[in-house]
Amino acid sequence: MRNLLYVGMRCCAAVAFSLFMMPLASMAGVYNLTVDKVMIDTGSFTKEGIGYNGASPGPVLRFNEGENVTINVKNNLDDMTSIHWHGLILPYQQDGVPTISYDGIKPGETFTYNFPISQSGTYWFHSHSGFQEPDGAYGAIVIKPKKRDPFRYDRDYVVQLTDKHPHSGARIMRNLKTMPDYYNRQQQTLGDFFSDSAKNGFGATMSDRMAWGEMRMMPADIEDLQGFVPLINGKGPSQNWTGLFKPGERVRLRFINSSAMTYFDIRVPGLKMLIVNADGNNVQPVKVDGFRIAVAETYDVIVRPTKEKAYTIFAASMGRSAYGRGTLAPRKGMVADVPKLEKRPLLTMADMGMNHGNMAGMDHGAMKMNGDNMKGMDHSNMKGMDHSKMSGMGPKPDPFYASGSGLAPKAVKDKKFLSYKHLKTQKKMFKFRKATREIELRLTGNMERYIWSINGKKYEDDEEIRLKYGERVRFKFVNETMMSHPMHLHGMWSILDTGAGKWNPIKHTVSIAPGTTVYTETEVDAAGQWAFHCHLSYHAAAGMFRKIVVEGGPKIALLNTMQNKEDLK
Amino acid sequence: MFNTKKTVKTIAISTFSATFLLGAAQTWAAGEHGGGHGAKSSIGTAGKAASATRTININMLDNLYEPKEISVKEGETIRFIVKNSGELVHEFNIGTSAMHTAHQKEMEMMVDHGALEPDKINHAKMKMDMGGGKTMMHNDPNSILLEPGKTGEVIWKFSNASKIEFACNVPGHYDAGMMGKFHFSH
Repeated sequence: MRNLLYVGMRCCAAVAFSLFMMPLASMAGVYNLTVDKVMIDTGSFTKEGIGYNGASPGPVLRFNEGENVTINVKNNLDDMTSIHWHGLILPYQQDGVPTISYDGIKPGETFTYNFPISQSGTYWFHSHSGFQEPDGAYGAIVIKPKKRDPFRYDRDYVVQLTDKHPHSGARIMRNLKTMPDYYNRQQQTLGDFFSDSAKNGFGATMSDRMAWGEMRMMPADIEDLQGFVPLINGKGPSQNWTGLFKPGERVRLRFINSSAMTYFDIRVPGLKMLIVNADGNNVQPVKVDGFRIAVAETYDVIVRPTKEKAYTIFAASMGRSAYGRGTLAPRKGMVADVPKLEKRPLLTMADMGMNHGNMAGMDHGAMKMNGDNMKGMDHSNMKGMDHSKMSGMGPKPDPFYASGSGLAPKAVKDKKFLSYKHLKTQKKMFKFRKATREIELRLTGNMERYIWSINGKKYEDDEEIRLKYGERVRFKFVNETMMSHPMHLHGMWSILDTGAGKWNPIKHTVSIAPGTTVYTETEVDAAGQWAFHCHLSYHAAAGMFRKIVVEGGPKIALLNTMQNKEDLK
Repeated sequence: MFNTKKTVKTIAISTFSATFLLGAAQTWAAGEHGGGHGAKSSIGTAGKAASATRTININMLDNLYEPKEISVKEGETIRFIVKNSGELVHEFNIGTSAMHTAHQKEMEMMVDHGALEPDKINHAKMKMDMGGGKTMMHNDPNSILLEPGKTGEVIWKFSNASKIEFACNVPGHYDAGMMGKFHFSH
């Protein structure tokens, strides 16, 4: 479509002249998307869902940095719809969140998005209406940079993950509201109680179980939605999405987690992975054996298979209830061994927040806790820690998990698993300065009623968060729940404080593990109003969501961080 | 054409001691063993400025070299003027692929110990005793490690044709593609 447009333009002398007069940055591409009812075949079940241009996932939208895009979205559904461009920096009216950016797109209508592309990297798009995204309304965005990327590659694949469930999103939400453990098939049994008693003693096991009861949580609550089939680029494990390579080539894999609820641990047995980009922004390359991708995050990795053989892309769900599988192979049809899922992890007292001094509202007296379980570091003081000074050989515990957490990736000798602490930005996008103020956001919930909230209040019960244009805000996330929450701020970047100062990575989605406190900073450089929420679909819908209003700034919110970037060069 | 003295002064630190962690014999004593084991293991020896017949400018950018590949003649002594035009620390190191792999592990340790930051070399920490009198000092003639904006030089006498590469062993950079081959001619 875009090429056709260019050809058409070149034929016309007048337009050619105006093209000549325009800076390159105003090159314009036109893209068309239809929102359709589609059938989704996972290899295990087939289910009606929602897709774009007749398929789920939708097409990969390929943009160029500096281009002005026009995207016509036609709604062929019987319901309202919307498209949010996840991670893109754009005027707020183009951000695609009903009631915050615009009204949404009515059935039968076409909405035309128009915005400049001021960044490069891997992103994605999805519906921000109801549960259309878990029902299949998502696709990938790949933006080619103006300058070359600081790494080499010969092939380029999008690897988009989702957790396709046989139930519709609306039905899942109803079931979770009625019975929060409806989809938790890994509950501990009376048998587990007796075996734990034999191992740990009856008293310890009893007090452990009673503590969990007080929290209205189960130790197996890592995934509150099970029974899904992980898909890679729309293909289930048996359908085996395959990417081809020639031995010796460097292959760029753009992982995007478009799941409703599921974190994945990714590895390619037999190959090291070089992490080169996180959430669209290049990072200083880190070589790892595995990484965890939270819901809504993206990671670009480079692998270099040198042998004439197939390799499995293995994506184990964090709770180990299911896995996604794809293959890299020199020829179609070649397959490699598929690893077995490891034993399911259980949450621990550490994930319950027992290591925290700041668990307001919690009655420790009622917890019947054994003092021995209370040891551990206070993560609220961790930011000043210089990781480089930590001595000792072998894998160190990941500071982005509570000490003793059951969720933390297992340290394996001679294997490196990516942690947020390894991420360092490749380019400094913003000047490093002290935040002008701090806003505390406690991530809270009531599992029994499936209410998820911020500072104890649901979206509808609280006021918006008001920021001032030009300030640098420091968000303090205190996760008081036992689930991980991938917090996504629209419209502005989240600079994740890993203790690396000016090298702190710049993300759009930051996962906060149970029982931890994490800080991000945001340069408030985008006027208008924006969504800010947990990206687990059912948590966002249950109330872990806020509207951000940016006061002041340019009246026409067409400014973007590109200008900041240019100033820094 | 080039002010040699000035350039030498700006040499930040010359290469990592190959004796650190790995025995000298295993890595770059390859030069001495070259004849016996065939051309494969011969990387050459430190060159004398007076014998240099050519100067090659190496531009180091964020995670790539200009030029991407280099042609050399057997027995030739070349002066490499190496400039770091990137925003991160980079290295120009001549060796075999196996030597680079070993060096990358050592560099990772330097990062872990705070001796190497993304854009800074902490000289004091490099001198730290790592046990057994071994330090992280880069003082080998086959390489140079440079902070952003710095220039330095490596003078190298190539031996007979062998499979050798120039590479940056700052963690992650080699795998990102910051490496190139030497092509030999008679």
